[in-house]
This record gives sequence, structure tokens and C-alpha cells, in this order.
Amino acid sequence: MNIIVFVKQVPDNTKLRIDQISQLGGGGIPREGVDMMINPYDEYALETALRLKEAAGGESKVTVISLGSASAKDIVKKAIAAGADDAFLLSDPAFLDGDSTATAHALAAAAKSLVPDHQVLFFGQMSLDDAASQTGPKVAELLGHPSLTAAKGVELLNPASLKVMRETERGVEFHEMTLPGVVSVMKCDYELRTSNIKGVMKANKAQIPAKTPAEIGVDASKTGKTGSSTTVNGLSQRPPKEAGVTVDGSDPKAAVDQLIAFLKEQKVL
Amino acid sequence: MSFNGNIEEYKGVWVVAEVSEGRSTQTSEELMTPARQLAGELGQPVCAVILAGSGDDTSSAEAAFGRLGAEKIYTVKHDLLGQYQPQLYTKALGDLIQQQKPNVVLFGATSVARDYAPRVAIRTGGGLITNAGELKLENGILKAIKGVLAESLLADVSVANTRPQMALVRGRTYEKPSESGGSANVETVTPDLTPDLAKSKLLEVQQTDTGKKKLEDAEVIVSGGRGLQGPENFKLVEELASTLGAAVGASRAVVDAGWRPHAEQVGQTGKTVTPTVYFALGISGAIQHQVGMRTSRTIIAINRDAEAPIFKIADFGIVGDVFEVVPVLTQVLKEQNLASV
Repeated sequence: MNIIVFVKQVPDNTKLRIDQISQLGGGGIPREGVDMMINPYDEYALETALRLKEAAGGESKVTVISLGSASAKDIVKKAIAAGADDAFLLSDPAFLDGDSTATAHALAAAAKSLVPDHQVLFFGQMSLDDAASQTGPKVAELLGHPSLTAAKGVELLNPASLKVMRETERGVEFHEMTLPGVVSVMKCDYELRTSNIKGVMKANKAQIPAKTPAEIGVDASKTGKTGSSTTVNGLSQRPPKEAGVTVDGSDPKAAVDQLIAFLKEQKVL
Repeated sequence: MSFNGNIEEYKGVWVVAEVSEGRSTQTSEELMTPARQLAGELGQPVCAVILAGSGDDTSSAEAAFGRLGAEKIYTVKHDLLGQYQPQLYTKALGDLIQQQKPNVVLFGATSVARDYAPRVAIRTGGGLITNAGELKLENGILKAIKGVLAESLLADVSVANTRPQMALVRGRTYEKPSESGGSANVETVTPDLTPDLAKSKLLEVQQTDTGKKKLEDAEVIVSGGRGLQGPENFKLVEELASTLGAAVGASRAVVDAGWRPHAEQVGQTGKTVTPTVYFALGISGAIQHQVGMRTSRTIIAINRDAEAPIFKIADFGIVGDVFEVVPVLTQVLKEQNLASV
């Protein structure tokens, strides 16, 4: 079984300094000088893919593809260290600065040309930076594959179909999906694996070819900025929140009375 | 991007309405507020679209959207639309869009619409803004403000030179409008669907307890964190929540520890919520938690550690022991018979 996991490098929001935020102008998501990490949802996509590979057995293979700057090599190597078999980078300038439509055109072409007999394509539910959660279903639509988002786990029913568990407002849904298909993964209940020495050595030696639009057979005008159906006009900081009131709770009754007075004043009680 | 149609032909503002147990959902009804604003500015009509099974009763939803100001309703009915399936819903709505050419199409950011709206965007060539907050028009172009980088920044995003202009709008961004409309002209549409289009099917649903308040819809949320010291102490959170008629949330730490289900997780890799009041009990307020609740209107924090980051964003904080303060709070609310407005 041939499985692809798409991973994205995003700014590490837990390490982002105020001065880095305040220096931002318009026009996209900051990357320069900012600590980067693998998109947290993509870690669950990778874990789900590796579990599926183990369950499918045989000649199963997990290929990792990342669209992003050359530094995305770091997260791809981590994926290899965790157990992925193959990796490709789409770092050509023509691919960059695109929205989910433009990115989906590149990724669909990559899936078709680099892993023609793919059966399952995994995405993270959304990326931390632009929070679009559109790329998975868009790639599926371009390839004519079925898609399911908000997945919390998969199970191989037979070589041609996958059971997908989705978490929705009404509860947990179980779907049967005919392969090839696209699954967008949210946080799963299982633990993420860590890499072992053998994996790290493999990752260090791994060749990670960077592909151009021509090599994957996509019209460059359909990717990157020119292929985008939405535009980011600018970024701004959230207006600062007014300082709140903090009271001492060593006398619980007095503190609670103050809280209730506050809630009444706010007209929420 | 280059668009193959004539932009001038695209007219009207659509709301894609979701119907649950015969009634339109609150999130769908809220969308009528921006729809009416945008349609007013454009001088174009407001329409609603309902996708339903052949046997589903949609009359109550149709009447509701008429009262909320829809001039026209397309009710798309087919045996194959009774259960949500991404490819069938994409075809049904995509075909209608290609025939009727709406200018703007608004969806609520629900787990159904988020699942298939991106496919509709590819199918129709339109532009889709996800996770949108407030919407506006600038020279006829749809724009939205949305939180990016885990809600730490606001991005001003617009649809490029294409149609339709679509957005998935977060619930509770708008209040539902007054019922000043009349009755809409309802057109029943039979889509061209065949079972072979669907390459996935729903096998089973394990419904969550229907008596439980849902985080996404809740006016008030009471969340607990590691400060509660153990899963058994979550009864403090549950009692306060039930007294207030609130939903229960949890921090990532306690979900990862297995005390609470992931469905209750607020924050990064969990849910983003915007209630009127958010209670953070024993939650330190790491950035991963803040991203999911910082847009709540009023934030109340109770935590023993005066240095906890949650106090920086709280409107009202009590530096104290949750085991001492929360039972008193619940008790006083009960005695005074106070619930949230």
C-alpha cells in the first residue's frame, strides 16, 4: 500500500517573541528569523500513516511531501527518522506564497506524478499559520478522490477500502471510504512515536529531491501567488486587551461576592 | 488567479443553511445578518439554500429563513442527500452555483461545511475564506478578518478576482437578525445525482449525550485544568457548569492525561470557542490554551498561582484555591438562583 503524508513547516507560536510579531508588515505569514516546527496536526497525520503502513504490511510505503522553503527539509528529515520511507520537497519559488487552491494544484500534481499508485493521502486537519483547513479536500477534488476531514483514526477494512472515524458536533461518525482517498487528521488519542537512532541515521543519509513545477507536471501559473483564489492583504496584532481585575481568594466568600457583582455589572448574570 | 466566467453575471448573496431535526441551526440563522448587510450594499437579493433528503420536512426551516429576510430559497432535495456525503453535496451545490451564479456564498464553519466547501470552491472556481470573522465588501470584493498563526495575529484576507466569493463564518460571530422578512419564494430543485458518485459512506454514528451542552454553541463555558489534580475533581467543574447552564471544557494537559475526552479540549489541536463568559478553573493559560478561548467576551480565571499567564487575559481573576473558591461560587449561585442571562 502506497501512502502519502503532506507536511508543512510553520512558525513555532510558543516561541514567537513579541518583537517578531510587532515587526510584521503585510503580505503573508512571517518566517524569517522565527523558530519553525512541523505543523502540530501533521504529526498526527504522520503517526496515522505509519500505523496504517504497519497494519497493511507487505510492501507498504510512506512518502512524505512538503511544499515550503528549503528549510522544510528539517521537518521532512524528522518524518523519515520517525519511519517514513521516501520524501520530496516542493521548494521552487513558483510554489511559494500560494493559498490553499494554489497549493492544492501543486500537491495534487505531486501525488499523481511522484506516487502514481497512491492509495491514501493524509493531511493535517489544518495548519497552525493560515488555519485554512482546505488543502486536503481541494487535493481530493482535483484528483477525483473521496475526502473526509476531522479524522481521529483509520482502519484498513480490505485492500480497497478504509474505515475512517470522524469527530463532529453530533458525535463520532464511522465512514467507509473507497481507495484511493484523502483523509485530513485532527488530534488523535494515540501517542506520537519518537525517532530512534536507526531512523535518525537514515534521515541523515536520505536524499530529499526538490521538484520543480515542470517535473511534477503542473502549470506554474496555477501554483503560488498567481494561482491563488484568495489574497492576504495584511497582518495586524490583536488589539490589546484591557487589564482585568484580580482579587485575593484567601477569603473565598468575599472573592466570590466580588465576582458575582462583576458578572452582574457585565450583565451576564 | 484567472477566472473563466463573466464576473458581472454573478449576483445575489446566498446562505447555505443547515437543518437539524427539521429546524435550521443557530449558526445558519446567524449568517443572515452579514448576508443582509452585504446584499444591501450590493443591491442584490438574499437567498438561502437547503440540502435535504427527499422525505425530509424542510418547511419550518424555509419559513424561518423567509422571516429572517431571504427572498428566495432553493431547497435541493434528493434521496441521496438525506445523509451528508462530501462528493454528493459538492455536486448538488456546485451544479446549483454554476446554474444560478451567485456573487457571495456563506457557510457556517461546521464540521459538514468545512468538509465539502473547499471541494465546491475547486469545482466552481470560486475563492473561499475559512474561519472568517467579520465580513465586509470593498469595491465589491469580499473581505474578512480571520485569526492566523494560532489566533495570535489577525489577517485581512480577500477573495481574488473570481466568483463566487465564499466564506466559512465562525459561529457566534454575528447575532441572528430580527425577523423582519416575510415568506420566501421556495423553489424545489432536483439535483442530478447517482449513487456511484459517492466513494464513501456513513456506516454508523455514536451520538454524544444529547443532554450535554455543546462547546461550539455555548454562551457560557466552564473549563478545568491540571489545577484540579485529578479526574475525580472535575465534578467541581461539572457542578458549576450545570448551575450556570454552561458547557464543560478542558485544557490540553488534562486531555492528554486522559482525564477528559478530546471533544472537550479548548485550544491548539482542540476547539476554538467564543462564548460570552469563559471560566478557566485551575488552568495556567499556556499560549496553546489561550489560542482557543482568547476571543471570549468575558474571561474569569481562578488559579492558585498569581503568576499564571491566564491572569494576563482574564477580565476578572481570583488568586485562590479552586477547591475552596469554586464550591462557594456554585453554592452562592444556587442560593441566589442565578444562571447566565
